[in-house]
Amino acid sequence: MSKKTWFAGMTSLVIASGVLTGCSGNGNAVNTGAEASPSASAPITSGETVKLKMWGGVPPESGPQAVVDAWNKENPNIQVEYVRYVNDDEGNLKLDTAMMTGQDVDLFVNYTLSHTNKRIDSGFALDLSGFTDYNIEEKMGSDSENWKINGKFYGVPTTKSSYFVALNKDALDAAGLEVPKEWTWNELREYAVKLKTGDGYGFLQHIEPYADPLDSVLSQEGYTKADGTSKLDQPLVKSWLETLNGMMATDKSTPPLGEQLTSKMPVEQEFLSGNVPMLNIGAWLLRSSNNFTDFPRDFKIAFAPVPRLTEAASDYVTRGGLGDYISINAKSKKQAAAWEFLKWYADGGMAPMASGGRVPASKDADQATALDNLLGDKADTYDLDSLKYVMFENETPTYVRSLPQEVIDMRTQEYENYFLGTQSLDETIAKMVSRHNEFLKLNK
Amino acid sequence: MTNNWMKRQRLLGYIFIGPSMLGVLLFFLIPAAYSFGLMFTNYKFMNPNVDFVGFANIARLVKDPMFYKSLKNTVIFLAAVPVSIGIGFIVAVVLNQKIYLKKLLRGIYFMPYITSGVAVAFVWMLLFHPKQGPINGLLRSIGIDNPPGWLSTTTSSMFAIDIIWIWFMLGYNMIIYLAALQEVSPELLEAAKIDGAKPGQILRKIIWPLVSPTTFLLLITGLIMTIKTFGIIQAITQGGPGSSTTILSLYVYQNAFRYYDMGYASTLSWALFVVILLITLVQWIGQKRWVHY
Repeated sequence: MSKKTWFAGMTSLVIASGVLTGCSGNGNAVNTGAEASPSASAPITSGETVKLKMWGGVPPESGPQAVVDAWNKENPNIQVEYVRYVNDDEGNLKLDTAMMTGQDVDLFVNYTLSHTNKRIDSGFALDLSGFTDYNIEEKMGSDSENWKINGKFYGVPTTKSSYFVALNKDALDAAGLEVPKEWTWNELREYAVKLKTGDGYGFLQHIEPYADPLDSVLSQEGYTKADGTSKLDQPLVKSWLETLNGMMATDKSTPPLGEQLTSKMPVEQEFLSGNVPMLNIGAWLLRSSNNFTDFPRDFKIAFAPVPRLTEAASDYVTRGGLGDYISINAKSKKQAAAWEFLKWYADGGMAPMASGGRVPASKDADQATALDNLLGDKADTYDLDSLKYVMFENETPTYVRSLPQEVIDMRTQEYENYFLGTQSLDETIAKMVSRHNEFLKLNK
Repeated sequence: MTNNWMKRQRLLGYIFIGPSMLGVLLFFLIPAAYSFGLMFTNYKFMNPNVDFVGFANIARLVKDPMFYKSLKNTVIFLAAVPVSIGIGFIVAVVLNQKIYLKKLLRGIYFMPYITSGVAVAFVWMLLFHPKQGPINGLLRSIGIDNPPGWLSTTTSSMFAIDIIWIWFMLGYNMIIYLAALQEVSPELLEAAKIDGAKPGQILRKIIWPLVSPTTFLLLITGLIMTIKTFGIIQAITQGGPGSSTTILSLYVYQNAFRYYDMGYASTLSWALFVVILLITLVQWIGQKRWVHY
């Protein structure tokens, strides 16, 4: 195996370096491409078919194929093809390499600000302010502010992305617990203890939103202090670490992180099979919870917002707002056509995506249709009031995670060391701070 | 006439090695030289703004605690190689005797080596599961109340990876040793027996020295292959928990393809090259003491 891996590794290295040499020659071309105004690109003339390629991370069968099929039927002049890339390191590398080497990428979906920033810096994401016929801010609401980079849009945030704690309503009812509309981590901790049965757990977390409570606090206060040093020693960071550690070690109401990581615990399945009654996750849960073939389920799912660390509810911001930031490749020659498609997509063309948990954000999209698509024929297996509350009605302000991947990783490594009992609480905070400071110094 | 013939011979030679040299040049030497150049830049993948930064990357490497951590993990990982070679030798000696199901057993030992790495990773993850895994189940049933957490603690994870690696390499080491054992002349063994040597003595004083060139080969290739490996760790732990299984090659990979920090990744891979070079040099020098041709 390792021979194969080595070969694959070497090949990708070589491809990457080949790409680099190929690119250093026309570095200037990249820049001019980014500066060219979008309107200058070829207009669509009738009779000619424009072929677009859109790269996204959602499996085609979870919506995208239905979306492009619908569009292709209506618009014989502009035919869109959907290309899936897996939204992980390799997948993003594949997309970036495709753009570097000038393969056909006309539209691409960004899922994190970290990736978006890299693509903007390298001149691949088109500045959309050249298109004046669509007001992104007005359509998508004030949450779109989070996706403005240096005051400009380099893509259209298309979905409402919600993060929540999914609850086993039947288990809550049996224990006589309410579905909360706002709560703190300490309250969640009590729920977890009450809901836990025998050796089982009361609460699970998906790894992706694991550290969101930290970003919730720090995205508001800033990750750095006035003097430019790390603020990862904020007292609430400590209280998050202590709370979770207590749940793992003392209450045994949530799995120890080491066990969860190395067994690659399938959290969706644990929750949907009824083993664990609470799960901290996001809207993509719907992709599995609507699938009764692979995940048979005999209980109702209710939804609660992600709990907060701050005492006062008024100080709280939650992760979410908008997501699926779709950009146009600045080097594409078919920008006008891509823009036409993108507008249609954002204004409701994306409705079939809702079956995978992706609800359109545009105010012009039909929310009722979206909700129908979202729940399919499984509507009666959800607690609709709480679902609507966390997805549409909750007025808590939102943030989009903006921390660079390097910092996220070093932070993760340090809290893993803490939760695994390798280092003390104070050591953990001190290391987080010093490593973050080191990073800040390097990237001034 | 002869001169002409020589020339043609030489030309033919170049033509024959041409294709493979072209491959080496294009896919190895040029990229290697290129990465050497990148070491002195702050090049980020995709980003057209590249600056020459001199020795900044090397200064960063010297001060980077993660570099030393990964170096230490690499050393622990490399410890698997001699252990695997040792066990491989013993297994080969046993399977070289007249025993039942010899061929089947050889096949079984070789299986891991030809199995897909991802499958291997998943099977071991299940085996090592701290609560439901069969390994800890067995340990508990024989009275060990607190079996190790294997992959799930920062202190044991690197050793758990070692165990997987030993098991993985075992079949290959065994096969090469089996071939070497066929070469050991039966006359020598018979002569030793007639002189009254015990089986243990024959093994230590005759067989082991006679296969020492094979041991040397396995040691060098094993260490080099192991130091460059990262796929199996990427599949099992991604370098975690914490950073307890981040070996140097994985750290290179993360910097290059996760953070797109090609400048620093190049620096790290040249550091990796220096480590491999040092290990190989030490072995070349050390071999005179124990390898008998």
